[in-house]
Amino acid sequence: MFGWEYPPLHLGGLGVACRGLVRGLLKLDIKITLALPHAGSTDEGVSFLSPTETTFHSIKIASRLTPYDSEDDYAWRVHKLPADVRDIYGEDLGQSIEYFTASAVEMTKNTAPDIIHCHDWMTYDAGIRAKAFHRRPLVAHIHATELDRTNFRPNMWIYDRERRGFAAADRIIAVSNYTKGILVRHYGVPAEKVSVVHNGNAEDFCNLPDSVRWSVPRRKLPMVLFLGRLAIQKGIHQFLAMAAEVHRIRPDVEFVIAGSGSMVGELVEKSIALGLERCVIFAGKVDSNEAKTLYAQADCFVMPSLSEPFGLVALEAASYGTPVILSRQSGAGEVLNHAFKVDFWDTHKMADCVLTILRDDHLAHQLRSEIRNDLASLTWANQAGIVKSIYERTLSNNLTA
Amino acid sequence: MDYFDEANNRSIFRKVAEKCYLPANALMLGLLNTYPDFRISYSISGVFLDQCRTYGPDVLESFQRLADTGKVEFLAETYYHSLSSLASPEEYCQQVKKHVQTIEELFGQTPSVFRNTELIYSNHIAHLARLMGFTGILAEGVDGLLAGRSPNHPFVPPKFRIPAEQETIIRRNRPPIRRSQNIHVLLKNYRLSDDVAFRFSDRSWNGYPLNAETFTDWVQRSGGHSVNLFMDYETFGEHQWADTGIFEFLATLSRIWQERGIRCETPSEVIRRWRKQKNEETYDVHAPISWADRERDLSAWKGNAIQNASFTSLYELETAVKALGDPAVLELWRKLQISDHLYYMCTKYWSDGDVHKYFSPYESPYEAYRRFSHAMHDLRYRLTNHE
Repeated sequence: MFGWEYPPLHLGGLGVACRGLVRGLLKLDIKITLALPHAGSTDEGVSFLSPTETTFHSIKIASRLTPYDSEDDYAWRVHKLPADVRDIYGEDLGQSIEYFTASAVEMTKNTAPDIIHCHDWMTYDAGIRAKAFHRRPLVAHIHATELDRTNFRPNMWIYDRERRGFAAADRIIAVSNYTKGILVRHYGVPAEKVSVVHNGNAEDFCNLPDSVRWSVPRRKLPMVLFLGRLAIQKGIHQFLAMAAEVHRIRPDVEFVIAGSGSMVGELVEKSIALGLERCVIFAGKVDSNEAKTLYAQADCFVMPSLSEPFGLVALEAASYGTPVILSRQSGAGEVLNHAFKVDFWDTHKMADCVLTILRDDHLAHQLRSEIRNDLASLTWANQAGIVKSIYERTLSNNLTA
Repeated sequence: MDYFDEANNRSIFRKVAEKCYLPANALMLGLLNTYPDFRISYSISGVFLDQCRTYGPDVLESFQRLADTGKVEFLAETYYHSLSSLASPEEYCQQVKKHVQTIEELFGQTPSVFRNTELIYSNHIAHLARLMGFTGILAEGVDGLLAGRSPNHPFVPPKFRIPAEQETIIRRNRPPIRRSQNIHVLLKNYRLSDDVAFRFSDRSWNGYPLNAETFTDWVQRSGGHSVNLFMDYETFGEHQWADTGIFEFLATLSRIWQERGIRCETPSEVIRRWRKQKNEETYDVHAPISWADRERDLSAWKGNAIQNASFTSLYELETAVKALGDPAVLELWRKLQISDHLYYMCTKYWSDGDVHKYFSPYESPYEAYRRFSHAMHDLRYRLTNHE
């Protein structure tokens, strides 16, 4: 399996999902060798591989890459990262990827895999090379497409790598029907080649007791939470527009925006222009304990993403029994039934849903208790079982082909 | 200001009228004219008749033509297809009275048999109906309550008196019909009814395809005093589309029944013929039952927190609405009582995508609640800010 990040060295949902899947598969007695671009991750039962000086042959350095919203954004993020995490992504992501790809065969030549599984475009070329060398089927897992990250204005170099990965793969696993739809419509992937496996809920969010909500200090005022990177993709502008509308009717409501990003200055200015300086709180990047406190305190969690392949944060908030309002343009909406779903641009309806939840205790109570039933079967143990059956089918098709 | 989506209501009414009401009524009229022993009875809510007047005079007229045959019986129910029987005896009686008067006015007959909304029934509801003056009431034949007995003959509720103040309320508000000392319960034979209503076009059912001969055999084998078949009218042409052969099935059925001497009767005829018998069996229903879902209870309308909160807050307004004396506000409040509003908020096996979803105009129960809750708040605001 080729991955890019793995906790504790990770930035976003990709690393979390990757670990969840790996641990789930291990419980099903599947042996995994996980190749990562960096050393330093450990997990019981997994063999980790990473490129070393000895596997490094001669690699031409590719041009600089801009894998996130903009070059500025990427540079800004890398700059802000702690030094050890910065090493995962490198000052130059393109260089890291070339290095990783070139090492793919060398790293894994003694592994004799049954199946090769790779996660997102950074690892697809490595997967393709490994497939050619080992002559085993390739499964390409897609957690987020370039179109999601860039509001449908892709960096073509990345887009082409994604396409190449999808074309070379024997099977594609998408994290939602929403993402499958993007692959079919915008990447020309045949629908029958794609299986949907929703992400599971992370272990530390599973089966939380009811009391967890009440174990944190209560806030004096009602609070609506946003948690995510401060990027256009995450619908942060829509969140502020919603906040302004709620504020007109309920001036007592606080809005906590947790997360960081290069847009923060612009967003602060915008919130002042909307007259929200007293009720919007920019909490900055929060660690996982701070996030859990916020989930438990929030009266309502809003995820207004413009395009969200999955949206693990919505599951996390739901685990804490927080009523959730989700963008319809998201994968999490497919698994969370007891939640409000709105189009990301419909900030008026979003505000109305928030107001209704704040106004009606019976509704909030029911959403709180029911949404956790939605999560009951959404564990990595279950989801890994689905992945395992996809492996089996892919292998048997490969034999007959 | 109104809370209801006129355009949507109209287009759905017209769609169902073309697929079901008009062709089904035309077929029924033909059958009634062809086969002397064919009968049919309808339980039509007041709000449907209102919609007929607004969106479908052609539909209303076709029902009137059926009434003119003298072989069609119209049952009484709550005008607003409401759950008022569970909330307020006064409102309940007033709605039944309004419905009875509307049936008299439109079809020239006075109902003597009552059918509560969604077949909601209990001993208490039966006695309320008796005090209102009805000779019969319809109920679901629930297996557990029948305890092995056949549903194919009339039953009686256990004898008891309801509280005196409720009797007084009923006496003041009851519809102007002749009082009845006794009331009989006609139980829906749900197996045979559902064979037609739900399973007719189900290819995975081992009875598929169901033909009229087979079904008649089943009816005859079922035996008893009468086999009570009761189903959504939309079974004919809407739930079961015309291309399933449902209309042909119905036509063949009436021909075979005429040939084999199986007589159709309306509910009041069934009860009149039964009166000559004297062995009465009791159908004892303490907690309310209905014809909905597997549970046959109230959980389709009062099964979760948002439904119960909506139900309670709705009927809390009764005194204020009636004290205001504004007919427009009263009408709004009553239309909010239509049980479908609560049905759309049902979350019971909702994730599996079941019938509740099929009938709901909303994408989710929470969306249904949000809309309903806004209407309720607006209504409450009007009531408190009047004068």
